[in-house]
Amino acid sequence: MKNIITILLTLLIIIVSSCETDVTNDISLVETPPRLVIDGGLERNIKTPVTTQQIRLLTTAPFLSNKDFPFVSDAQVTISDGTNSWVFEHTNNGFYENSDILPEIGNTYTITILWKGETYQGTDMLLAEVPRFDKFYYEFEEETVFADEGYYVKFDTTDPINVQNFYHYRLFKNNEFVTVPDPGNSQVLIVSDEFFDGKQRIGVKPNEDIFFEIGDIATAQQLSISEPYFDYLKELFTQTGNLGNPIVGNPPPASIRGNLINLDNSSNRALGYFYVIDVEEDTVTITEN
Amino acid sequence: MKKQLVYLFCLFCLGSYAQEKFSISGYVKDNLSGEKLLGVNIIIDNTYGTTTNDYGFYSIHLKKGIHQIEISYLGYKTISKEISITGNQKIDFDLTEELAELDEIVISSNTTRKNIESIEMSVISLKGETIKKLPAILGEPDVLKSLQLLPGVSSVNEASSGFNVRGGSVDQNLILLDEATIYNASHLFGFFSVFNSNAIKNAKLYKGGIPSIYGGRLSSVLDIKQREGNTKDFGGEIGVGLISAKALIEGPILKGNKEEASGSYMLAGRRSYIDLFTFLTDDFKNSSLFFYDLNLKSNYNIGTNNRLFLSGYFGRDKFELDKFLGTIWGNTSASLRWTSILNEKLFLQTSAIYSNYDYNLDNLRTGSEFRWKSSITNYNFKPRLSWFINNNNTLKTGIDVTYYNFKPGKISPFKGSTINEEEFSQKFGLENGIYADLKQKLSDDLSLQYGVRWSNFSRLGKEDIREYNTGNPLTYNAEQDIYEENEVTQVTNYGSGKRIKTFNGLEPRISIRYLLNESNSLKLSYNKMYQYLHLISNTTSPTPLDIWSPSGPYLSPQSADQLALGYFKSFKKGKYDLSLEAYYKKLKDVTDFIDGADLLFTEEIETQVVQGKGRAYGLEVQLNKNEGKLTGWLSYTLARSENKVLGVNNNKYYPNNSDQLHELNLVGFYKLNSRWDFGVNFIFGSGRPVTYPTGRYTQNGLVVADYNNRNGNRLPTYHRLDISATLNPKKGKKGKWIFSIVNLYNRQNAASIYFNEIGETNNVEIATGMTQATKLSFFGIVPSISYEFKF
Repeated sequence: MKNIITILLTLLIIIVSSCETDVTNDISLVETPPRLVIDGGLERNIKTPVTTQQIRLLTTAPFLSNKDFPFVSDAQVTISDGTNSWVFEHTNNGFYENSDILPEIGNTYTITILWKGETYQGTDMLLAEVPRFDKFYYEFEEETVFADEGYYVKFDTTDPINVQNFYHYRLFKNNEFVTVPDPGNSQVLIVSDEFFDGKQRIGVKPNEDIFFEIGDIATAQQLSISEPYFDYLKELFTQTGNLGNPIVGNPPPASIRGNLINLDNSSNRALGYFYVIDVEEDTVTITEN
Repeated sequence: MKKQLVYLFCLFCLGSYAQEKFSISGYVKDNLSGEKLLGVNIIIDNTYGTTTNDYGFYSIHLKKGIHQIEISYLGYKTISKEISITGNQKIDFDLTEELAELDEIVISSNTTRKNIESIEMSVISLKGETIKKLPAILGEPDVLKSLQLLPGVSSVNEASSGFNVRGGSVDQNLILLDEATIYNASHLFGFFSVFNSNAIKNAKLYKGGIPSIYGGRLSSVLDIKQREGNTKDFGGEIGVGLISAKALIEGPILKGNKEEASGSYMLAGRRSYIDLFTFLTDDFKNSSLFFYDLNLKSNYNIGTNNRLFLSGYFGRDKFELDKFLGTIWGNTSASLRWTSILNEKLFLQTSAIYSNYDYNLDNLRTGSEFRWKSSITNYNFKPRLSWFINNNNTLKTGIDVTYYNFKPGKISPFKGSTINEEEFSQKFGLENGIYADLKQKLSDDLSLQYGVRWSNFSRLGKEDIREYNTGNPLTYNAEQDIYEENEVTQVTNYGSGKRIKTFNGLEPRISIRYLLNESNSLKLSYNKMYQYLHLISNTTSPTPLDIWSPSGPYLSPQSADQLALGYFKSFKKGKYDLSLEAYYKKLKDVTDFIDGADLLFTEEIETQVVQGKGRAYGLEVQLNKNEGKLTGWLSYTLARSENKVLGVNNNKYYPNNSDQLHELNLVGFYKLNSRWDFGVNFIFGSGRPVTYPTGRYTQNGLVVADYNNRNGNRLPTYHRLDISATLNPKKGKKGKWIFSIVNLYNRQNAASIYFNEIGETNNVEIATGMTQATKLSFFGIVPSISYEFKF
């Protein structure tokens, strides 16, 4: 799915000669000292149980550097549910792992990270169990202004009535996670049941930008997430899809606040979100009908 | 309320006492069309004078005897004659337009003399004709774009119909079309305004020194009057440009055999046809993109002293992409006005006004179709009495009552989708204003205009108001530097019409003019303004989907104090004049938004809005050349506009989106001969604020930018040269060609610079992990041609 903004621009190009120029080389940016970044969380998945839970710690890098993100290998990571706690050990490239923890519905999990003498803490809740797919399938779609021609994965799913639900979608192509920094993400990759509580939805596409070809293995996940994580993702997708277009929805860029708090030095904030989610998933191989 | 009025009335009448004088009053009109002329100068015995009001009416007081009277108006032949006064008299004057062969003067604001002598400062006035002479994008003359060529008026970028006055935000402008409020002045996402230049008679913008008859917005008042129509003959205009076609008809009502009818009408329409081009490409089949508008004005004289006016506007933009998204938005307004000359000294006008702005947003994606509707409607009643007490005192007083109905949003299923229908609670408000404004001439050198407006706003039921555990929806956590949402403890239901919260504001206004000598004057003005409505828009320029929200328990009224000082000079017998103005503005409770505010489809707006303070100051210089083959102006603005909001930019002042340090405009008109006219304008402005990232990180497979200071960086300098040429018809012919080239040297001015992750590699959409900076510019060189035909 190309977004409204892209379309608008296209139309405007027709009337006036609107134009985008790459100015990467003309810009010099002020750099700030690196901050701690968390990328990951706990995943409950009854369909394909997660044997090892994984969380990655990195730091920020200069915006236009395009080098790999520096990872953090010397932190101490613990996750607790209020009763028990689990230590996550660094394996490689900033990944911290634990194979004993089994996330449960109704629990609140707190992560504690000790790094460079400062302690960071963040909490998320796993409240609602994710509803299952009623039907999981794919369909061929012709090319449109917004999307390429190809096979699109879809599912039908029924929202539980009288429960607040927040959803997030993931798509995998041949077992590899795929995503696009698209302005539409904030409307497509996450959704709340505010306007369809208790209803069945038909033909939901987990990602409107990604299509498959014959022979591809397609996996889609529907995630149940907490409301604070939903709000975080909304801001994240809005900003990563920002095309700087002043015509439509272009909020002032600002640092996105995650859920980690630095207990020792609050101004040295960490970025990213420690999440706890419940996963529904299904896989299909695309074949000629 | 009545008592207060009478009291105010008395207060301002101190200067009036009985004299052996008679009243002379009447209308000044265009002798061909019969259209009333506003702001015409009337000078008696070369010493004192007055001007016609918004309805072309004047009233002066003269001693018995013979007087020399001079009637002058820009673009018209001056009448100078002797009149003999023997009693109260009603005299109408017909002015004849100067022939096109003569050198034209295009700066219509004021004749030089008036500029120096007038009490007004910080006022810009443009006639429909001037607007049409300026080079225009795609040949579509636009009043809002024209205003931006004058000092103190700017916009964030070209695709922004909203304009900023002296650093104020877009929602701080009161835009009136024949007295009706226009809530969103943009067509086509801001490339054009809703004002059809053919239907406009005059536009007047108050940047400061705003008289007490106006209220409700902090930064400016843009008062646009539509043409009234020809009272003598039927006629019309047809215009065809690159983007739209226009037609206008006008004529007398019930003329019979009389030379001049008692009434007239004007009906104008415009429709864009960009959508015709979009059909050229297969991709946009079943898509639409167009706007249209209709303007109506008619008036009728009932006897010699009463006139009725009816004006209306209806405009729509439609934008639809098949199976994806559709929007329709537009303004509707209607006003009915009655003006009555009660006697030689009293002029009464009463208006009843309806205005509305609404939009639909349709999600057309298969399976999740829905329609989102939102609107704001107001009903306004404003009677005003003008009392021409004597030649030195004119009093205007009146009331202004507005009832508002806000419908923030209603979602409903569309095309059989399974969306639940839901409506966000409607909001209601009542705004009252009572004012008195006295124009007083203390001596030949010193004139004053002062007054006061008392404004009052009540948020009314029926509405459910959420109450929060701490009393406020948000609490600022200084340690974390974030706003935390508080818990709703209960919801109170207010019945229909019940007052939820009431605000009062006393708004003093004063302007002083001191004549140093015949060609130099000093002016000083102060005004206080309150604004009870807020545009809930978290973007750099307004979009059609922004909603208005009234002040209430969690949203305080905004207020502003502005002080301005001006020096006005004319030289070479009025051939040139110079104005110099300095201003300082202090704003309170300006609305801003918490970082990451989510406004669309959010009912609890109060949890997204924060209020802070602002300051704006600047210097504006304008040099006009008023006569000769070459006319025009050169203007320069030095300005600063900053906001300070708790929780934004580390609680420090930051430049707001409209901040621009330097702006230079050069506008010239050259009349070569009776057939060819040329226009040129050059704009040079320092870069507007932008926020550059300070770092990047990864999250959910995407590269995310991190930021530190809001608006801490600057876009590159903006400059552009536009030219136009008009080929006027030969004698006896009626067609006119207008050629223009906007952005002659094809500069790609930055509308924005943005930073993101490259989302495509080898034509496949995918997160690449690579970052880039991109400059977006709206247009390069844009040539255009349009044709106009008058009959």
